[in-house]
Amino acid sequence: MSKNNKKVWLGTDQLESSQEYLKATDSELSIPDAAESPRLESSRRDFLKYLGFGMTAATIASCDIPVRKAIPYVSKPDTIVPGVATYFASTFVQGGDYVPVLVKTREGRPIKIEGNSTSPITSGGTSARAQASILGMYDTSRFDGPYRIQEGKAIAKKKPMDNDGYDVIDAEIAAKMPASSRVRIVSHTIMSPSLLVAVAEFKNRFPATEHVQYDPVSCAALLDANLADFGKRAVPSYHFDKADLIVSIGADFLGTWISPVQFARDYVQGRKTSGTKMNRHIQIESSMSLTGSNADNRILVKPSEQGQAIAALYVAVTGGSASATLPDATKVKIAAVAKELIRNRTHAIVVSGSNNLVEQRMVNAINNAIGAYGSTITTDRWSMQRKGSDQAIAKFAQDLEGGAVDAVIVLDGANPAWDNPWAGQIAANLSKAKLSISTNGIPNETTLLCQYVSPTHHYLESWGDVEAVEGQLSLIQPTITPIFASVGRHGTRQEGQSLLTWASSDKLDKVAEQPYMAFVFSNWEATAFKAQSGFSRFQAFWDSSLQDGVVTLAPSTAIASEEGTATAAIYSGVGLNASGVSKVGAGQEVSFFETVNIGNGVYANNPWLQEVPDPVTRTVWGNYLTIPVSWDGGYEYTAYQGLNPEEYKGIADMVDLTISGATQKITVVRQFGQMPETFGLALGYGRTVTGVSGRAIGHDVGINVYPWLPVVGGYVQYFADQATVSGAVDTEEEFASVQYHHTMGLTTKGDDGKMAYYNSRTGEVVYEGPTTEAEKDYIQPYNVDEATVMNGNGGSLGDLQGGLTDRSIIYQGTFAELGDLKGHISHQREHAKHLNDQTLYPYEEYVEDVYSQGHWWAMHVDLTACIGCAACEVACVAENNVPIVGKYEVFRHHEMKWLRIDRYFYGDIENPRAVYQPMMCQHCDNAPCENVCPVNASQHSNEGLNQMIYNRCIGTRYCANNCPYKVRRFNWLDYTTGDLFSTNEPQVQDEELAFGADNLTRMVLNPDVTVRSRGVIEKCSFCTQRLQEGKLAAKIEKRPLRDSDVRTACQTACPTGAITFGDRNIKGGDVSEKIKNPLNYLALEEVNTQPGVFYAARVHNPMEELDA
Amino acid sequence: MTYHLKYLPSILLACCLLLSGGSLFSQGELADEVTAESIVQDDPATSATTSVGDVGEGAGDYGNGKTLWNANGCGACHAGNMKDNLTGPALGGVQERWAAEPREHLYRWVQNSQALIGSEESARALAVWNDWTPTVMSAYNNLSDGDVEHLLAYIKGQYTGVGKPVVAGEVVAVGPAEETDNTWLFVILGGALLLLSLILARITSNMQYMVASKEGMSPTRRTLLEVLTSKGMIAFVVFALVVLGGYTTVNHAIELGRQQDYQPEQPIKFSHVTHSGLNQIECQYCHDGARRSKHSVIPAVNTCMNCHAAIKVGSNYGTAEITKIYAAIGYDPIEDAYIKDYEQLDNEEVKEIYKKWIAQEYIKAERDLDELENEVEAQLEAIEKALTNEYTGDEKIAGPVEWVRIHNLPDHAYFNHAQHVTVGNLKCQNCHGPVEEMELVYQYSPLSMGWCINCHRQTEVQFKDNDYYKAYERYHEEIKSGERTAVTVEEIGGLNCQRCHY
Repeated sequence: MSKNNKKVWLGTDQLESSQEYLKATDSELSIPDAAESPRLESSRRDFLKYLGFGMTAATIASCDIPVRKAIPYVSKPDTIVPGVATYFASTFVQGGDYVPVLVKTREGRPIKIEGNSTSPITSGGTSARAQASILGMYDTSRFDGPYRIQEGKAIAKKKPMDNDGYDVIDAEIAAKMPASSRVRIVSHTIMSPSLLVAVAEFKNRFPATEHVQYDPVSCAALLDANLADFGKRAVPSYHFDKADLIVSIGADFLGTWISPVQFARDYVQGRKTSGTKMNRHIQIESSMSLTGSNADNRILVKPSEQGQAIAALYVAVTGGSASATLPDATKVKIAAVAKELIRNRTHAIVVSGSNNLVEQRMVNAINNAIGAYGSTITTDRWSMQRKGSDQAIAKFAQDLEGGAVDAVIVLDGANPAWDNPWAGQIAANLSKAKLSISTNGIPNETTLLCQYVSPTHHYLESWGDVEAVEGQLSLIQPTITPIFASVGRHGTRQEGQSLLTWASSDKLDKVAEQPYMAFVFSNWEATAFKAQSGFSRFQAFWDSSLQDGVVTLAPSTAIASEEGTATAAIYSGVGLNASGVSKVGAGQEVSFFETVNIGNGVYANNPWLQEVPDPVTRTVWGNYLTIPVSWDGGYEYTAYQGLNPEEYKGIADMVDLTISGATQKITVVRQFGQMPETFGLALGYGRTVTGVSGRAIGHDVGINVYPWLPVVGGYVQYFADQATVSGAVDTEEEFASVQYHHTMGLTTKGDDGKMAYYNSRTGEVVYEGPTTEAEKDYIQPYNVDEATVMNGNGGSLGDLQGGLTDRSIIYQGTFAELGDLKGHISHQREHAKHLNDQTLYPYEEYVEDVYSQGHWWAMHVDLTACIGCAACEVACVAENNVPIVGKYEVFRHHEMKWLRIDRYFYGDIENPRAVYQPMMCQHCDNAPCENVCPVNASQHSNEGLNQMIYNRCIGTRYCANNCPYKVRRFNWLDYTTGDLFSTNEPQVQDEELAFGADNLTRMVLNPDVTVRSRGVIEKCSFCTQRLQEGKLAAKIEKRPLRDSDVRTACQTACPTGAITFGDRNIKGGDVSEKIKNPLNYLALEEVNTQPGVFYAARVHNPMEELDA
Repeated sequence: MTYHLKYLPSILLACCLLLSGGSLFSQGELADEVTAESIVQDDPATSATTSVGDVGEGAGDYGNGKTLWNANGCGACHAGNMKDNLTGPALGGVQERWAAEPREHLYRWVQNSQALIGSEESARALAVWNDWTPTVMSAYNNLSDGDVEHLLAYIKGQYTGVGKPVVAGEVVAVGPAEETDNTWLFVILGGALLLLSLILARITSNMQYMVASKEGMSPTRRTLLEVLTSKGMIAFVVFALVVLGGYTTVNHAIELGRQQDYQPEQPIKFSHVTHSGLNQIECQYCHDGARRSKHSVIPAVNTCMNCHAAIKVGSNYGTAEITKIYAAIGYDPIEDAYIKDYEQLDNEEVKEIYKKWIAQEYIKAERDLDELENEVEAQLEAIEKALTNEYTGDEKIAGPVEWVRIHNLPDHAYFNHAQHVTVGNLKCQNCHGPVEEMELVYQYSPLSMGWCINCHRQTEVQFKDNDYYKAYERYHEEIKSGERTAVTVEEIGGLNCQRCHY
């Protein structure tokens, strides 16, 4: 077994860092030689052309100031004051993904998503997907009206209005669909009661209709297990906040499983370092998931052993009769877990991501045995966030092949010809149906196989309702007029309205101004209004619900009925045997998982999500096969088959992955915590059609794994055994992993593994640490990042190896030894303070002079609460107009994220724990970047902000080089305006117009934040526009500022409340209270930058016996 | 010594140049100061809407009345000169007209005219109502009887000039204030130095001549031409030209993109003189964003309709301009009603509607009937031109008015009206100049960064009245102890870059 390392490290290369690697990480903006870039093709003639054009353009531009128009409204709407944001409550919903939101609109145009804090489910938290959803509306590759589709192409005339409108298309559809038609409505999970009524209306008219609901990442076994054990095919309410012990077997409940925003909030509730107890989280998995990376203990099992692990746990907890085949070491660990579960009776919870009926029933039995029901799992409100059935979609595929389907209607988001294992069969036979219609707003693989498309609105243009949990309703209201219809196109039409139209339902008031709104309205009058008692008039109830966005009815007053009814919310399971549990597989195994950003593939065309690094692998724009890393206990590690030796250079190996005879070539990425002989691969990638061609940018990113998914016992399995991973067959030269970008600091080791130290008295590198107390002052761990630059000590570096981060970037410890951790931090901070006091410019005096009054902004990030979900990263992009650069530019270290989430590992090298550190501009009060700017473009405000002034910046990039935190970003290209010269535009894919240059896409820009031009540096501003807005609000109301006035985008997006922002000078304020936490530290405090961001150390609560 | 003296004239000449240059510099600085000093703080007392206690009949105070007049927006409907009818009647002589009735009726009329009419107690009230139906005067229940007295005093003062106190700067003082002009001093100093340098040049030349002749060399005097074409002189001139040229270039380059005095034609000949000057409509009545948004907001057409549903013919242009408003929003001035589905009408149908109206008013005004056709045609054409835009493809008359934006800040500069108007209590005229005197609005201020910064340096914050500023404890203590009298915007971070650039 490997060495249990107390230190923190960043990635693979750092462990075995060669001199070359150290050199590469040394500079902020190390890039491959641009001259070698195949994408830059300029000849001498081009140069002359550009020169000539440039001169002419400059001359013309300087002659005249353009006449600008100011166009007021004709009749100004009451709700709109130009320049002031208006917020509307709505709900983000996409299949089973659900987040109640507030939509920030400016001048009638949605620009930002915030969480709705009145929701009892999410409490104002959001996810990366919800944050990015706003960009989907401004997607240029959406359909702008109904089309006929022939041979995979929408038949369009040159002028949009020359195409046939809905009346013609509807008539054609009606002609092809007699009342006896065997119609199949295919969709992902539908949580909308009104849409389900529309489906029922449709069924009334076409009685032979079947509604096929499926989920690409299926929870069917979980639902069926609950049907068997409770009589209800739904998900019970999990209360992670009430659990002292959480055991998850392959369930990524913080990232993607069922309701991650809600679970993350609850999970962190139980992980407070201030109390007397902290929950313990044990994850049993093979590939490191987001949830697994946050776990206190991870037990590595092969994907196929997960079932056996559940069986073993089941036996140990319930005393059942099943027996498990597991390695002895694992058995011991499972036994320990079982003991711990029994010890924490009624305060424990077991969840599993397995899609095997028996396994899920065993999990139910375990939960029953440990008394979880009624305590950590309740059955008074069933969740409907997953409803899909694997059998239903399988039957659909079969029916289609057998010619038993006359018409297919595919609802929005669903992509049956791509996102499931039966996709091949469905795609091949879809033409057998006489009629096929898609209501997808954005073209996908299935849409192009249908005959008609009747595109639905984006949710921000829609009316609708959601019942995610029984009796907990939320409304969707439009925040903008449906875009395409308002600009002279036929426009989109909500799918529910389409269904009702085709069904000729009399429930649809066609002459109403907004027919579907009237429909939802009358549905609510008939259902939700009747189920509540607070309001006597429906209109009042409706208005109030619309304003709040969410309504909570009494338990068991669901307005949409589910399959089965729980007669009693009591577990009624029977004894189980292990015969139905997955057999332990042979050979190499691959597990397939969903990432927090791309999900099941439906978000593929959203570049904000594509460019958010996967929290665990830190890769962007693609799925990569994660390969295990092993450590010989000495100072060398090897990745599987020695692959990827040059990962940090942006070069990765590609391998052939063969599963059940099908082979695909894929790039690998080394992954700590990946079990040996197992591999991991994200699904949802490899979409071939993600939008109108020429405008889509998400296609052909990564590879499609759905065809590989095996189906066992009618359930889709998210792992495969007997896989073959070849050695390197090819190299990917543009490997976009941000893990190696913006490295903050390394200390080094000699060949013999001894730590290197720097003796500041003699200027020598020594391998002996300080032996006396006095030496501690001048013999310090040798820091490559800093010392090589400062001393030019290149020669003496020759024999240095290794690189564990030992600067004060991350502090971590266990809950049991919290005192030690506090002591360690305080000692380190005192030491840093001692160093920092040796200055000619005493910081305290400066504080007294400048910050003792007025505002002094500060941020606090609790690393124990941060789960790395990336919601803040996308929120920052949306708020601050941060550009998207595309994979190639990310590979060149040119990503523009103002806020990055650094992922560090610590502990066992083969099975480490992770800590996520949101790293943004630290707003140092003694900022190194400010001193080096030749044009004063970086300055300090008297409120503690490090200000970046774009219009002064001339792009020397000195500041970026001098920033120890590596948070400054340079605009290498013209990212958001679209330059006249193609080499200045980032090309994400083969799109005709660069992403961000289109007027539609640009509607998402925040008008209060400057769009930066090429050649300037930018960085986190602490959302200074929000600070200004908050201050103004306080001034107008003539009251002191409150911390609630100033909330940064990352803070509001966070589902777990890990980020706190505020004014340090407000006594008793949010941030001034958090600053008192003894677990706090400042990143790189010893370099005397005096940052304005405090981090609270990462605390975990492991079980000692599992760590052995 | 002579050797050194040789350079003296050149040095002096340089001094001259520097001085004249200096005068240029200092004038530039002065200009900034002037604008900055013209800032007039709105006295917090005048913006308060508190009533002033009850006052005896006829004992109202002009000043208090003015405050109330402005605070309640009386000027929105009643002409400030008290002589013209607007949406509401001219108020001059109102006391005389109501003299036959108890004073209390007049109070009640102002406080709630509809109630008084409804009670049928007042003959005068009914008479006015008959004249002005259906225009309803809003109720002002917040006004006490004393307040009405003050208002009456103000009305009387405005109408007759009696009781109107002579106050310096009654109209907000805008434009450069008196400043001592130093130009003459510079000219005299420069002239003196020039003279001195000439004399010194002469002396050196003479001394050189003397030295040469004393040493036995044949002394020659350089001719003026030789002096002017000497290396030293040419070098000096080149140097001077480079310096002056550079200075001028930089100064003008900074000016690039600035639009001070920019005064474009607008689609509607909207006169601020009429609205804001004569009728004294509050700026924020129309520009209602200024108090709560970063934009002051150009009013929507429906705001115009608040008054122009009643005032259908303008005092300057007759129907020519006001009809443009009707054509934008679809209001039929003959029927006094909004036209249904106006957006669907094509331009010819629209023109037909307003043709009738323009002709009707033309005839009413008893103007030359031979010109009727031409006049109507011309007006309709102007309407179409004003409300369509061939460049943007806006071919319909119906729809918004495209005003030409005058005040254009660069994209990277953030400015918030609410901050300045609501929090800072600044008058609009501080930056926009005497708009009430502008027939056609122009950009009054340079809107340059130096201009902004100067104001932030000199303007004092309304420190004591706003609890927000409690965060600045030290300043409060210093004010208390008398160490300082005021806090400027600069001192609370008003010069931080990210106040305006982010």
